[in-house]
Amino acid sequence: MLAACTGPCATFGKIVSADTETLVAILVMALAALAAKGGGFVAMRWLGRHRFVSAWLQNAPGAVLVSAAIVPVVEVRGAFIAGAVAGAIVTRTTRGFTAGLFAGVAAVALARWAGLS
Amino acid sequence: MSLSARVTWRSFRVGAGRMILPGLAAFPFGIGFGVAAAQKGLSAFETTLMSFTVMAGTSQMVALDIWAKPLPLVALFVSVFVANLRYFVMGAALQPYLPDLPWYKQPFVWFVTIDQNWALNIEEYRRGKGDLGKFLGGGLSMVCIWSGATLLGHLAAGGVLADPAASLRFGLDFVGISVFVVVAALLFRGKRDLAPWTVAILAALTAKWLLHGNWYIVIGGLAGGLYGAMRDLRQDRVG
Repeated sequence: MLAACTGPCATFGKIVSADTETLVAILVMALAALAAKGGGFVAMRWLGRHRFVSAWLQNAPGAVLVSAAIVPVVEVRGAFIAGAVAGAIVTRTTRGFTAGLFAGVAAVALARWAGLS
Repeated sequence: MSLSARVTWRSFRVGAGRMILPGLAAFPFGIGFGVAAAQKGLSAFETTLMSFTVMAGTSQMVALDIWAKPLPLVALFVSVFVANLRYFVMGAALQPYLPDLPWYKQPFVWFVTIDQNWALNIEEYRRGKGDLGKFLGGGLSMVCIWSGATLLGHLAAGGVLADPAASLRFGLDFVGISVFVVVAALLFRGKRDLAPWTVAILAALTAKWLLHGNWYIVIGGLAGGLYGAMRDLRQDRVG
């Protein structure tokens, strides 16, 4: 039994553990991703005819991303604002994902080192 | 079956090989996701399984943001679906090149519709040189790299990164939010995005304030997207 394990056995048990609720959630997420990918493939015949759907698809991804970012940034303020500004500026300057990602995280670390929360 | 839908072992290998480097570009993000997933209490197996089956980093980060027991399944579905809407458009663009693809092969094509893999292959399909084997091989290559990176990140989180104080000191609690900021900055189309994004931000903050849950991503995304769509159509009519 994993519960009776110690040492490497317990570590392995922790690594491979899974509960039903999490597995169901992962399945739901996988289906959602597949639905988004396959939806366009299947609905291609109608997509071009509904201009509103096409227009919404053009605007929705950016709106989702800023919505996901703004709440934690406003809640934490200080260091997160520095990280968001640095990440955005470096990304726009370099057009690179990795550089922007590291700049954002580094700015948060530096801001905390400087005393911001 | 059309020529563009053929699959050979050789083309599969060629496709897998050429997507290794683009796949490695997602490595730091994968490490970050693994660390974030560990902080949320997911096991290494659960994290890797999620990465392998969902294979959409940003939406996985969005999901982690609302990850709290009992897990909000409807919110997870809607968040992942909405965060992946760009794939809806990519799938639509791909379909004309694979009109006779048998139904049992279609889910595999949807699964490997990943930004860089799609971009490279759709360009070849447009030139009449498309090959489904390359598309599937490239996708599998990227899925394996992404899943492996998140597993490594999760295992690394078991060390010094598991210490909450160290995590804060290194700014690792910002990795997920940094991804949203960076991808938004890449997507930003200038003045055209200002109004819809402002609507999204206001809607998200209001939703957080009124509902207290994590529906703010969905509500903000829907509000900003709908506002942008209505504005674009109105401008088209006026123009």
